[in-house]
Amino acid sequence: MRQHRRWSYMAVITTLALIAAACGDGEGGATSTLAPGTTGAPQTTEAETDTETTAATGEPIRIGGTLALTGVFAATAAIHQATGEVFVERLNESGGLLGRPVEWVLLDDESTPDLAAAAYERLITEDEVDLVIGPYGTGNITAAMAVAQRYGYVFPHHTASLTYAYNYECHFSSWSTGLHPNITNPNLLYDAIESSGTPPETIGFVVNEFPGTMFISYGQPDTDEGGAVAEAEKRGWEVVLDVTFPIATSDWGPIAAQIKDADPDFLFIAGLGLDAPNIINAMQTIDYQPAGMFVQWPAPGPLLGTEGADGIMSVTIFEEHPPFTDDPEAVEVAADISQALADSGVPYTKVETQAAASWTAWEYLQQAAEGAGSLDQEAMCNWLIENGADTLFHGNIEFFPDQQNYYEDLSKIKQVQDGDWWVVYPSEFAAPDRSVIYSP
Amino acid sequence: MGLLAQGIVSGVLVGGLYALMSLGISLSWGALKIINLAHFAFILLSAYLVYQLTVSFGLDPLLTILIILPLFFLVGVLMQLFFHLARVDEFKSLIVSFGLLIIFQSLIQTTWSADFRRIGSALNPYETESFFIGSVAFPLAQLMAFVSALLIAGAMYLLFTRTYFGKAVRAVAQDPEMARAFGVDPRRVAVILSGLSTAFSALAGVFIAIGQTLFPGLAVGWFGIVFSVVILGGLGNALGAVVAGVIIGVAAGVATILWGPLAAPLVTFLILIGALLFRPEGLLTTRSVA
Repeated sequence: MRQHRRWSYMAVITTLALIAAACGDGEGGATSTLAPGTTGAPQTTEAETDTETTAATGEPIRIGGTLALTGVFAATAAIHQATGEVFVERLNESGGLLGRPVEWVLLDDESTPDLAAAAYERLITEDEVDLVIGPYGTGNITAAMAVAQRYGYVFPHHTASLTYAYNYECHFSSWSTGLHPNITNPNLLYDAIESSGTPPETIGFVVNEFPGTMFISYGQPDTDEGGAVAEAEKRGWEVVLDVTFPIATSDWGPIAAQIKDADPDFLFIAGLGLDAPNIINAMQTIDYQPAGMFVQWPAPGPLLGTEGADGIMSVTIFEEHPPFTDDPEAVEVAADISQALADSGVPYTKVETQAAASWTAWEYLQQAAEGAGSLDQEAMCNWLIENGADTLFHGNIEFFPDQQNYYEDLSKIKQVQDGDWWVVYPSEFAAPDRSVIYSP
Repeated sequence: MGLLAQGIVSGVLVGGLYALMSLGISLSWGALKIINLAHFAFILLSAYLVYQLTVSFGLDPLLTILIILPLFFLVGVLMQLFFHLARVDEFKSLIVSFGLLIIFQSLIQTTWSADFRRIGSALNPYETESFFIGSVAFPLAQLMAFVSALLIAGAMYLLFTRTYFGKAVRAVAQDPEMARAFGVDPRRVAVILSGLSTAFSALAGVFIAIGQTLFPGLAVGWFGIVFSVVILGGLGNALGAVVAGVIIGVAAGVATILWGPLAAPLVTFLILIGALLFRPEGLLTTRSVA
């Protein structure tokens, strides 16, 4: 009986491991035997080829891509889906691409890198799409980029964080972090803090072991380049806490206790998604609040409803307030995206980094094809490298091949003030009457 | 010292929540021979319903228990009737209940979207409330989950050892045919126990809604912890589940304090492997239902 039960446990655990793998386990890249064909029929967004369409005629241009429509990244991928749908709809309404209607062939990669890679393989070799656009999530983008590179497809993508790893000559990132965000992002933050006139003497780091946040905190692996921790030390700030936590952390109490025990003047949360709300809640329950906090890549909505989150800072490339909304077209597009997000049931509908990066990636693809005058991948790639892109949310962008097609870091610092996000630094991008609030 | 004490308290209390999340699966597996992965979906669905009832009608999240528990008891009853009808055995139940989990997850995503949902502080007085003994904090939401787990475990222990229904459950778990020969109706016993198990999972969902941000993929992250608790505690053993939850919670909390958060899952799964090697029947074997 005892022996039977042991084998029964083993069988169940093995099955569960397979199930967990099938469900995906985060950016680390779960293994799955599911074929992309099992993810369901492709969803398409196509031109309304009726009288409202101005000039798009002929065979549709098919643009293939995946998004994490299900799984752990689905919340953020929903923003990219809504943004892409608005872009394709507007593109078709304004005459299509090269005079032809555009169809977005969208597959679900289930938040899993190997499924994303398999789906791009299918899109290129079986569905024979004309163009591809990147998925959401660092792991998925990295996996899909390898497939695009193998077939020589131009690969615009939005929010991949391992900048040093992308050396494909035809990849184009729309996340304007620059090639060395591990240096530029922290220094932008530290400059912002110092602009308040009272820099911290001590700083604490809690770091998600997700590769992107490890890169920001400690720099590229196997180099002495450093990251946020080393840059803080260079400013003479004492690092009183430096802990790394697993991606799948469920009990935040002991981490909060460590933060309270270290009591830093400023807390740098190198986390993403829900890490910051979870840590702040855990700190609230032990009656602790640091003087200042920063979180690298949070889900923007949940923090606004979190007690104790007022004053927290983060990075952004766009927020829906002046001067970003000085361009009427940006306002119009942001309104369309917000409406699409509301229609899809997403509670936080403001346009910020994710939607802006997504929109820009689509612009790259459109301008590459129009600039090259064809769908020839090499010609499109060369055109983008030679001409850059004129974008709605970033302005003119010039790609530097000697920097792996990256360009300068266009990040800004935003802060939760009065229950909403506002850009507060650099001052020329700050919302009217807003500046960094920090006092250790 | 204060830091370590806080880590231990946090581990004990979160262990209560782990136990609550594991009770339904443990009872279902131990007594009914159904490895019911749908319980993960019930925890999640319950949490979303608590969120919706609180946000839409301004109900106190704890008061939603009055609606949630009877509702999910009924769901458990219907599910067990379906399992009888489909002749689902122990191993088929893995596949069938995994299908149910996927269906419920999809329904949740369709209904509430993939985006994050959280009961706002104004409607959730328990979210960050704590009381203190010295400098050690006892978060109210976790404390309530822990006390609930203890009460349920105690009640289930009394039910299984002191009542006719409990004896019937144990008889059915050991040999349904023989139990039937002695006048026990295995189907009736199974249906009631399935209702109770599902209601326990729903109660875990109430505390998840009070303390966490919800999204459809949340349930996947519970697999490792819950099955560790179920196996360590012993199948069908409610008291064992609480003890196992506390052991895992404290071990993870202390490991986090002493060696950093990355050590917590390592310690958790070392405990699980140790249990599989040396106590595969669970920690409190003599009180096991099966």
